[in-house]
Amino acid sequence: MGQGKSQFTEEELQDYQDLTYFTKKEVLYAHQKFKALAPERVGHNKNAKLPMSKILLYPELKVNPFGDRICHAFSSSHDGDCTFEDFLDMMSVFSDAAPKSVKAEHAFRIFDFDGDDMLGEADLRQVVERLTGSQRLSESDMKHLIQNILDEADLDEDGALSFAEFEHIIDKSSDFCSTFRIRL
Amino acid sequence: MSGGERKVKRHPRGQGWEEAGGEFYQESYPGGEAELEAMHQNPSNIATLLPSKQNRTATYSKMYDAKTTMRRRTANRTANRAQYQTTARRPSASAATAAATDVASMLPDLSENLSNEERTWEEIMQIKALPVSMAQKKEHKAKLQSQTKLRLQGLEQLKWQRRKMWQRLRRSWSEAYAKMELWRHSMKEVEGDFGTGVVAYFLFIKWLMFLNLGVCTLMVLFIVLPAVFLKPAQQFPECNLSNNFTGQGSVECCSAQYANTTSEPAENIFMQFIQGRGIVEHTQAFYGVYPNVELTLNSAAWLSYDMPLAYISLSLVFMLVSLAAIVKSAAKGFKERLVEGEGQFYQYCNIIFSGWDFCIKNEKSACIKHKAIFNEIKASIESERIEEERLTRSKEERFKLFSVRVLVNLAVFVLLIAALYLIYVVFDFSAQTQTDYIIANNTLLRLLFEFLPSLCVVGLNLVIPIILGMLVRLERYSPVLIVRITLMRTVLLRLSSLGVVLLSFYRQFNCDDPCRPEGADAKCKKPLCWETYVGQQFFKLMLVDFLSHIAVTFIVNFPRGQLAKYSHNSVVAYLGEQQFDLPKHVLDVVYIQTLCWLGSFFAPVLPLMASIIFFFMFYIKKFACLVNSKPSTIPYRASRSNSLFMAVLLLSFVVMIIPLGYTIAERTPSKSCGPFRGLPSVWSVIVRTFVSSPAWIKHVVFFFTTAGFAVPAFITLILCLYYFYAVSAANKHMVLVLKNQLVLEGRDKQFLLHRLSQIIKQQQEHHKAMRAAAQSAHMNSTDISSST
Repeated sequence: MGQGKSQFTEEELQDYQDLTYFTKKEVLYAHQKFKALAPERVGHNKNAKLPMSKILLYPELKVNPFGDRICHAFSSSHDGDCTFEDFLDMMSVFSDAAPKSVKAEHAFRIFDFDGDDMLGEADLRQVVERLTGSQRLSESDMKHLIQNILDEADLDEDGALSFAEFEHIIDKSSDFCSTFRIRL
Repeated sequence: MSGGERKVKRHPRGQGWEEAGGEFYQESYPGGEAELEAMHQNPSNIATLLPSKQNRTATYSKMYDAKTTMRRRTANRTANRAQYQTTARRPSASAATAAATDVASMLPDLSENLSNEERTWEEIMQIKALPVSMAQKKEHKAKLQSQTKLRLQGLEQLKWQRRKMWQRLRRSWSEAYAKMELWRHSMKEVEGDFGTGVVAYFLFIKWLMFLNLGVCTLMVLFIVLPAVFLKPAQQFPECNLSNNFTGQGSVECCSAQYANTTSEPAENIFMQFIQGRGIVEHTQAFYGVYPNVELTLNSAAWLSYDMPLAYISLSLVFMLVSLAAIVKSAAKGFKERLVEGEGQFYQYCNIIFSGWDFCIKNEKSACIKHKAIFNEIKASIESERIEEERLTRSKEERFKLFSVRVLVNLAVFVLLIAALYLIYVVFDFSAQTQTDYIIANNTLLRLLFEFLPSLCVVGLNLVIPIILGMLVRLERYSPVLIVRITLMRTVLLRLSSLGVVLLSFYRQFNCDDPCRPEGADAKCKKPLCWETYVGQQFFKLMLVDFLSHIAVTFIVNFPRGQLAKYSHNSVVAYLGEQQFDLPKHVLDVVYIQTLCWLGSFFAPVLPLMASIIFFFMFYIKKFACLVNSKPSTIPYRASRSNSLFMAVLLLSFVVMIIPLGYTIAERTPSKSCGPFRGLPSVWSVIVRTFVSSPAWIKHVVFFFTTAGFAVPAFITLILCLYYFYAVSAANKHMVLVLKNQLVLEGRDKQFLLHRLSQIIKQQQEHHKAMRAAAQSAHMNSTDISSST
């Protein structure tokens, strides 16, 4: 860790500690992990911007069907490329300490593929397709499933889930917190 | 004069406020005009502009802007007012002061807008929850820090400092804890491959280990250390066979007799150790050696330590601590279940939105997870169909299935009875043959017969669940129900086998104490110190169980798994492939814990042993999980599996309390050993202590048992119950009402939006028509002008 320490000033660490759910040590550890993704770049510039392909080398993101969406949601330049600060934000949200509401917020952004701030039918379809991977649900099953989801959650019956509706579901789901989590 | 002036003065200010309000609205939702433009272009887009439809990023930035502009506005306004005051200065001094005071009273309280240090600090702590990028967060923090703020004074400053310190302390504690946290890395490894449901199991093992470790510490502190280091308060009389009171059959002589018994000298220390005999028997590990007298705490000898009381209290404390720990853990799960409440309604959302384990990092497991989610979706869609089918099932079919289920249940029942009878017979056989001359002389044979009962129990526990698993398939239940039913049947087997073990002990011991004036009954198998004997049996059961886990995991399942991995033969692969079957593994650890509970009264070493076993079990199960098996295709959910663990544990706890309570309340303790020698029952220690306690305690307890206390208490409890019932019913009703309201509002909104977009469309058309008309009029006029 001694090596990592030299890259940050005490103030930066204090900032990171105040602004994320991590302690200083965890911030340094996160930086080690970040550095491991592309040692040659991060070595010179601790806050280097890594392209999405590099970020997706992170094991949990690599196999995650929403890996690219996660990168997009946290990228400050909105193109999927992440700086260390973006990465730290990402890990902070996925950490144990982050409250459910914060996680729900980001989950919503991850699932919202077309970016219209609503989870419409097309969004849900894409989520399901990514979840089932190589297997495909038959068209009638898919329709049935999406209809079921909307029946459960779409309270105002406008054919799409707004953030408030989404948060309502997440509030009722006890599994969400344990699954929407990446251990550093 | 000045009053009139003031009135005039005030008027524009009121207007200003209104304006400011309007501006505030505009500023808090800036870009309104642009949005209106967009709306004009596509009226159906209006819905997305509603504040409720936007997530917090958008609303946050607006709110933030609004807040800053608010601050700016107040500042501007104060400046304006100052200007105004200077221009409106009157020559008359009194009027000037009046105006000044007036203005001063009109001035907004600056301290309201200036946040104090604590509030700023709180706000900084809140930033982390904002869904914006780090750069923005930093900027925000810097802004907050650079703000002029009030210093807190006196007590408030102190309070704030204390809060800050607390947080710093908590942070450093969590940092230290994270460093020390046991098995953190292993958990991550398991999580990466098997998901959070399985990790919950490993956390459960850890939880059990710490529970036992805690109890073990208590035991060492309160009974082992005093028993080793403290001296008896009074010299107790020597055994004197000629004396009437201390002669043959008396507690003293029996104790002496027991202390002098040593097992066969031929046994080596290892044998003694694994059987809990010989030297080991006479250590604090077992019930026998604990003294039945008060011990002196200090040389003054008036402060004493009541060993029997400490012993029984600690057993009770162990039970209470376990119960509290289980209930606390279970209550958490229960609360989650309650929140899930209408859980069934959110079944699909749960699969879709919290189905993926974000911790998975292994490609193979990800593939399996994809499959599992696919299957779950399929199954839940299917189950809807099955439910419909079930309602339309023909009578004949129903009858067939019903009879199959009855038959299977009957078979299970017979199987259980047979297993229990076998255990019973083997115990009897083992007890009878131990006195046999040939066996007694052959160490190996003796050892085999010694361990025969334990081996039998463990063997049956291994074999019968497999048969049960095959039987349950015939019954055609839904997958979830299959898991639960098999689990319950297996729990029943394990618990009742333990019950039979205890029962066969008690049948053997159902005769007078062997230490009596007439000498031991030849037919009676009761050992001198039966409690220690029972303790030894539990010790052995636990040991054999532990060894069987090692054997099964490393000697049987490991080669199986390897064969499956490297063989291309499909039959071998089928036989060798193992899934990590969670319920079975849960039973394994719950069983050990049950043994520990049952046996700890007879052998205080058991909690320590259980913690050590759990420590190793973690590694054994990790090996079984990571090396031997592949992830199960049944998705285990963390919340649900945790409540399953606790349910099983609670069940075995309740069942186990019955025989233990019987032992403590009814059985006569041995005369020759232990802290309760010579007493009619263990419980009588408590009675004795109560009788000798100060009068006021007795009075209080007696008061608790009178009607004067019981009736009001009963009524109060019922009232409380009713009150909470009423509150929960009201809440339920409220939830329903609110939900309906939400739906209605949603519909209203839909309706209004629809109307609005219609109006906009109409307007557009109207505009178009007007424009067209104007154009045609223009054309006409040009036509006319050209024609003229």
